[in-house]
Amino acid sequence: MDLVNSILLSVLVFSPVLAILVMAFIPQHQGGVIKKVGVLGTLLPLLLSLYLFASFHYGSSNLQFVEKYDWISIPISFDQAGNPYGLEINYELGVDGVSMPLLVLTAIIATLAAVASWQIKKRLKEFFILFHVLLIGMLGVFAADNLFLFFIFFEMTLVPMFFLVGIWGYGEREKAANKFLLYNGIGSGIMLIAFIVLYLLLQTMNMEQISNALTTAGHPVASAITPELRFGLFLALFIAFAIKLPVFPFHTWMLKVHVQAPPSIVMIHSGILLKMGAYGVLRMGIGFFPEQAYQFATWLAVLGIINILYGAVLAYVQKDLKMVLAYSSISHMGIVLLGFAAMNTIGFQGAMFQIVSHGFISALLFFLIGVIWDRTQTSMIDELGGLAKSMPFVSGILLAGGMASLGLPGMSGFISEFFAFLGLFGKLPVMAVVGALGIVLTAVYLLRAILRTTFGPTPDRFNRLADAQPMEVIPMVVLLGFIILIGVYPAILGNPLQQTLKTIVPIVTGIGG
Amino acid sequence: MDTLFAYAWLIPLFPLLAFIVIVSFGRQLKEGAALVGIVLTGISFGLALLTFWERFQDGAANYKFNVNWLQVGDIVISMGFEVNQLNAMMLVIVTLVSLLVQIYSKGYMHGDERFPVFYQYLALFTFSMLGLVLSPNLLQVYIFWELVGVCSFLLVGYYYFKNEAKAAAKKAFIVTRIGDLGLFIAICLLFWWTGSFEYTQIFDSVALGKLDPWMITLAAILIFVGAVGKSGQFPLHTWLPDAMEGPTPVSALIHAATMVAAGVYLVAATFPLFIASDTALNVVAYVGGFTAIFAASIGLTQTDIKRVLAYSTVSQLGYMMMALGVAGAAGYVAGSFHLMTHAFFKALLFLGAGSVIHAVHTQNVFEMGGIWKKMPITALTFLIGCLAIAGIFPFAGFWSKEAIIGAVYGAHRFDLLIIALVAAFFTAFYMFRLFFLTFAGKPRGKHVPHESPAVMTGPLLILALLAIVAGFINTPYGPYLSDWLLASDTGTAISQVFGDEVAHAASWLQVVALLISIAGIVLAYLMYGKKKIPSDTIPETLPWLYQLSYRKYYVDELYHAVIVRPLGWIGVVLNGFDKYVIDGLVGLTAKIATGIAALHTKAQNGQIQSYGAMVLFGLLLLIIAISLTAQGGGLFGSGQ
Repeated sequence: MDLVNSILLSVLVFSPVLAILVMAFIPQHQGGVIKKVGVLGTLLPLLLSLYLFASFHYGSSNLQFVEKYDWISIPISFDQAGNPYGLEINYELGVDGVSMPLLVLTAIIATLAAVASWQIKKRLKEFFILFHVLLIGMLGVFAADNLFLFFIFFEMTLVPMFFLVGIWGYGEREKAANKFLLYNGIGSGIMLIAFIVLYLLLQTMNMEQISNALTTAGHPVASAITPELRFGLFLALFIAFAIKLPVFPFHTWMLKVHVQAPPSIVMIHSGILLKMGAYGVLRMGIGFFPEQAYQFATWLAVLGIINILYGAVLAYVQKDLKMVLAYSSISHMGIVLLGFAAMNTIGFQGAMFQIVSHGFISALLFFLIGVIWDRTQTSMIDELGGLAKSMPFVSGILLAGGMASLGLPGMSGFISEFFAFLGLFGKLPVMAVVGALGIVLTAVYLLRAILRTTFGPTPDRFNRLADAQPMEVIPMVVLLGFIILIGVYPAILGNPLQQTLKTIVPIVTGIGG
Repeated sequence: MDTLFAYAWLIPLFPLLAFIVIVSFGRQLKEGAALVGIVLTGISFGLALLTFWERFQDGAANYKFNVNWLQVGDIVISMGFEVNQLNAMMLVIVTLVSLLVQIYSKGYMHGDERFPVFYQYLALFTFSMLGLVLSPNLLQVYIFWELVGVCSFLLVGYYYFKNEAKAAAKKAFIVTRIGDLGLFIAICLLFWWTGSFEYTQIFDSVALGKLDPWMITLAAILIFVGAVGKSGQFPLHTWLPDAMEGPTPVSALIHAATMVAAGVYLVAATFPLFIASDTALNVVAYVGGFTAIFAASIGLTQTDIKRVLAYSTVSQLGYMMMALGVAGAAGYVAGSFHLMTHAFFKALLFLGAGSVIHAVHTQNVFEMGGIWKKMPITALTFLIGCLAIAGIFPFAGFWSKEAIIGAVYGAHRFDLLIIALVAAFFTAFYMFRLFFLTFAGKPRGKHVPHESPAVMTGPLLILALLAIVAGFINTPYGPYLSDWLLASDTGTAISQVFGDEVAHAASWLQVVALLISIAGIVLAYLMYGKKKIPSDTIPETLPWLYQLSYRKYYVDELYHAVIVRPLGWIGVVLNGFDKYVIDGLVGLTAKIATGIAALHTKAQNGQIQSYGAMVLFGLLLLIIAISLTAQGGGLFGSGQ
């Protein structure tokens, strides 16, 4: 077992390679086989991630399944004591209670997105190869314990994403892909600068070591870093990940992606890629610079409130269902920011729940919009209506997904929303009240969009639409199942988070308070 | 484990089981779904009765059971259930009305395409409502509070293909959610102030004076905001009349007897918090009183049989709130007591209305008339319901209304007393206006009505019986319910603040109240039964007053103009801002990027000399960097 555990993360992260290799040998024209391999290929990381979930030790706050190998070593010179030093880049993986659930989330959403890719029609082989490369990147981001490695994996998600949007998207796909690359490129650039500075300061790229050095009082190297520089680095990291999250005003790129990308890719994008931003803010922004984050908390809350209310009001006036959900994502990511701003265990827990919960919910909703588009060739609200008659199952699931999204108890959205706000009430009660208005607005825009789509008289042209097919039922039921599971039994996610958050929070509040 | 209370958690579980069974096998069950719902709810009713009975015995203690649900940091959040006086009574009301409504619906919904779905929602609602009642902590209350709300939403929108139902469902959800926000904030604040969601711990903190007075007032008022939303109190009442778009049995169960009473229940359940704040109590009393008379005055002119009943419900709920708000032992008992009697007679009236609508295919009272002979059971039971709600001796409503008026009088709140009496007059008038228009006179409808089947009239008869006798559980001569309710923890808390004397209306006041109700009935008879007074007297002489009532004081129009439309405008403005200003930033960044790229293009000029210069420059930079870092702390960190 030790052997398995010692390479588990590497195997998990690179397991999609298998599907890529197999696909390389399948001729382009055998689309059916490629699709099957594409879906089956995602089962391997899924099973491995579930194994990871099962063998994870809840009681420990340490990194688990750690792997460390020397990788790149470029000697530069000797220091005064005569020891050689230079650029040391290690291959380091490891997970804790925060990253482990995200790995599982990634694997689950990826499998379901692969199933949802069933309706992709052109250039299947390239599609699925890029899809699996993207998957490696995402898994790597959450498993990496080294800044360099993190960066490589982070970039690894950009390139396939660019092509997946640009080739397989809807009408204005190329514009969307360009905008995606431009914005994320800027984010990566800022991130890279911050990483390099961190390396130069601390002579290590190991994330745990960086975090320890920066948060240990009187650390020989780190204590020399001025508060101003720390704040600058915190801000740089925050902006880099804020673009990804996205935080107002850096959000417009993701609207285009949400509208133009094929449904299965939006599932991944909204379900996982945005979460890399939230993960980065927690792991690096707050994890590396807790004191600065603590001082910044009020601004985090302000940004969170803007995201929530701005997203909600805009979602209310959109004419395209996809745009409603895109702005809804912005609004919901505001809740993550509020959870962070709370700077206490409850708030962080809420933020983490929101990351996972929104992953499932947005994947479900975008999948459903894909299913509806498939039949009606539209996602414009004014052109839809009365779908409940011919598509009762799809309509029912859509309503359930909407209810989850607006935070109905018994579903995951409630847990995350409740704890994020509860946490914030402990620190910034007035802000929390303002942000909580979003709870009402969310109901307003979601019910408007959903009821106009499925309720009301059914136009003749929609009388004979086919309800969900078996291949479509699977993602719907599985996603809804997870949403309800977390809603009813939140400890399944809360338990792994516990210890890790418990170690982050005292550092944050201990120094700041 | 010699107490039955340990099994009280089973009471909501049977309806949940019914829900799961009907969801899984609805298509096979078809109309058999009704049987599943009825049998399992019947079991719950039996258990609730047993629980209530044991609770009624002397010396029965509260029972509470908790399990850990989620740990957050060092805080353990638990879920569980509790049996006390108040909720034992609620368990019986909810299971009984739900059972009767489900039996009734078997006939009413017969032939409906989505029959199993209807029962599925009813079962989920019953589960949620029972869960709400059994909750020992505010978080759990909130969870079920939202769930009953969503069931209400689903059932109001049951006829999803109708635009009116769609709009009504949306409105029901959103307007109540505004109230829910208050409850949500109250729960969060109380958690930070008391460290718990548990009722008992919150009440202890209040009793021990750990909370500042302003905190108690704020928390109580915020909880009341939640109750205002759910119980359709002014100014969040607008959703309840629209909710009549749902099938009539739903109106009886959810929008008359149980869910809308949840707001009253919540105030009663958190009463120790309210009695610690005079301000909060006054808010409850005046909002309740105002709603009572406000809604009753709208009920006077409505023409839709269900809407009259809906405004009547709003008004009666206001009555209950007013009773709780004047507080004291009498107010607490009167509010809870009226909640019970109202559940029976209002469910009766709605089911009776459903029976009529079923027969005449219209809801407009001016298209009814002359049904008395054709539908004797419906007519008779409806009359009993009307007498009960009008507060005629010795029907159930007489006793509970007497208790409320007595409590208001006993607290020397004469302003509220006048409101209560005027509202009682209105109530008697509009109920009998409704009765005479519907059942008396000549038929004005197109359909020839027939009496409903036994499956529908049976529940009517049972509810009619309850509307007659339920009041005797608490009369000035035998205040069983009062003594029992006050033997609770809440009762103790009340007596510490207000003393334990239960005021009753003085005999003369009872007679006055009775006479006022009779006057209302007589007036209705003269106008709509005998037609001695032309019914268009008021519309003719004071048209603006009539319009004000008929148009519901234009509250909907006001909200539309002040909230809904501005929200749309803000949205449109922000949308433009997002598109042209924020997204314009992208254009700018893109230009900057191209600019930088152009610089690079210039650098790539193919001349070896310039490349060499750049290499040299780079090397120089590198050397400087290394020599700086080699001295210790690193490039930026070297503080020496």
